[in-house]
Amino acid sequence: MKAIGKAEFSNFVDELIADDPREVIGVQAKSNKFAFDPLKSAEDLRLDYDVTILPPKKYFMPQRETLVKYNTNEGEMTAVNEVIPRIIFGIHPYDLIAIQQMDKVFEETHSDENYLAKRRESVLVGVNMKNASEWSFAHTMGTATTDSGYDLMLTDIGDKYAVEIGSVKGSELLEEAKSQLDDVGMEEIEKVREFKEELPDKFRDDPEFDPFELPRLLSEYYGKDGFWEENAEDCLSCGTCNLVCPTCYCFDVKDVNDITLTEGERLRTWDGCMLEAFAQVAGDENFREEKAARYRHRYMRKGRYMYNKFGDIACVGCGRCSEQCVPDIADPVDVFNQMKEGTNGI
Amino acid sequence: MKPESVKPKVAFFDFAGCEGDQLQVANMEEKILDLIEVVDVVNFREIMTERSEDYDIAFVEGSIATDHDAERLQGIRENASWVVALGSCAAIGGINSIRNSQPYDLVQDRVYGDDADKIEAWDVAKPIDAIVDVDGYVYGCPINQDEFVHVVESLLQGKDPNIPTYPVCVECKMNENVCVFARNPEKNAANIKAAVDNGSPAESGPFCLGPVTRAGCDSQCVNEGTTCWGCRGLVPNPNENAHQEVLEKYGLSVDEVINKFNLYFGWQQEELKNEQ
Repeated sequence: MKAIGKAEFSNFVDELIADDPREVIGVQAKSNKFAFDPLKSAEDLRLDYDVTILPPKKYFMPQRETLVKYNTNEGEMTAVNEVIPRIIFGIHPYDLIAIQQMDKVFEETHSDENYLAKRRESVLVGVNMKNASEWSFAHTMGTATTDSGYDLMLTDIGDKYAVEIGSVKGSELLEEAKSQLDDVGMEEIEKVREFKEELPDKFRDDPEFDPFELPRLLSEYYGKDGFWEENAEDCLSCGTCNLVCPTCYCFDVKDVNDITLTEGERLRTWDGCMLEAFAQVAGDENFREEKAARYRHRYMRKGRYMYNKFGDIACVGCGRCSEQCVPDIADPVDVFNQMKEGTNGI
Repeated sequence: MKPESVKPKVAFFDFAGCEGDQLQVANMEEKILDLIEVVDVVNFREIMTERSEDYDIAFVEGSIATDHDAERLQGIRENASWVVALGSCAAIGGINSIRNSQPYDLVQDRVYGDDADKIEAWDVAKPIDAIVDVDGYVYGCPINQDEFVHVVESLLQGKDPNIPTYPVCVECKMNENVCVFARNPEKNAANIKAAVDNGSPAESGPFCLGPVTRAGCDSQCVNEGTTCWGCRGLVPNPNENAHQEVLEKYGLSVDEVINKFNLYFGWQQEELKNEQ
């Protein structure tokens, strides 16, 4: 562990913005919310944020991405992988854990070079949570802190940041601030420990379940009469809960041609299992035509299917779905508590 | 360049509407040059004086509101191999259908005053597919130029265009907009409810029709800081009740909600009711 004064840290970030060829990204205010965006100045970096609108997955799996360009006159097809090397400041532990889950998905099933190249070329600078969204239940999900997934991890200890080094990439980035770094003593180590001890108080206290009983609970509730229908009744099928989720990775692929039909590109865009046409196939068959079936699928995916495949509970408790669902029906704590209590009146 | 004889002939027509959708096509500027490489435009009064009744693809703008409109539209349908609804008025009834829920006499009097008796129109304005079969739709008020190009390109290839069936929220999230309902933290549902429970006069919170409106506009109104008014029409299976409850939770009165829904959804709501 190292430490760096806050003023020195700001200089370090400003120097990276000015001199480093990589794009420097950081959490910034966006109206009354927060978002990861390119940094123009260290002043704009808000390491005290609660949660961002979208998770940082947008830098590895962009909302819209060209996979192939083609020209039908020439009979040419070219694979496209636009990789912008980036340094990303301010990732909370739950998002770092989500990124590690995504890495498994994109590496171990079908190795996806468009995702993996962007990951390889990114440096992730985490920050321990000074504030939490009122919807967050990261502590319950065991994602309020992490020992892995970051290149560097910052903790605000008053007039300094404690800096933990997680990788060679992180250590190399820190080289550029070498002269500003201090070795730490017991005082700093103690402050980081205290910071982490106070974390649980920042989160909601209503979850009544343990994350590792979710696969069994979900299995029991899969066919529960009326349960999913009741919970999904007000669902607008708008996909917000999918799109803002740090562990949702489904995409759609379509060809976009120019009007002369000679040139075009194959585009991948974010998709979501809550959208009505998600499971629609040729011949207009739809495997999940009812919103209750789609709603159930999302929960199965988060708490059971991903666990069976990779051993991960794919809900990291960030609270983005709970916060951003307009009819307020997407809160996992509510649904998991109902299961735990068995109190849905069925 | 393809030989003249194989290029499909394209014609534009308009009914009750502002011709703003054709204006979007006329405003494509250099992209128009690409368009006329693949089709012959034979009828388009905003940009040319020639007229022809020999065409393959008819783009029809505007709603249908009179017997004369209907006859003319049927003639277009007979001449054309493909009929495409261009813009909200043609595709979903659009703004014209605001009047569908009002007494016809009142509407006539408001619009034409002393000359009301000289006008013979239907008591409702209809989208063109209420009169004839339609092969394609370009939604929006006005239409989006890229989507117009996509629909033309799809027709020429004989495939269905890829038009979203999901709501505008999808594009808003992809653009990482602050949700309209979260713009003013003071006016969240809980605070509005508390104010009403305290007997404070109901003060309208935010409204947005994005959650029930068909996407495809790249959420451009919300991107620019305003709100979705629903110009592209309802998604195929909207959860209207749930969204009306949301709007009421944010302090809109039942009448206000109905008015918001009537701006573009008048005809579609009638259709949904008839289906049920």
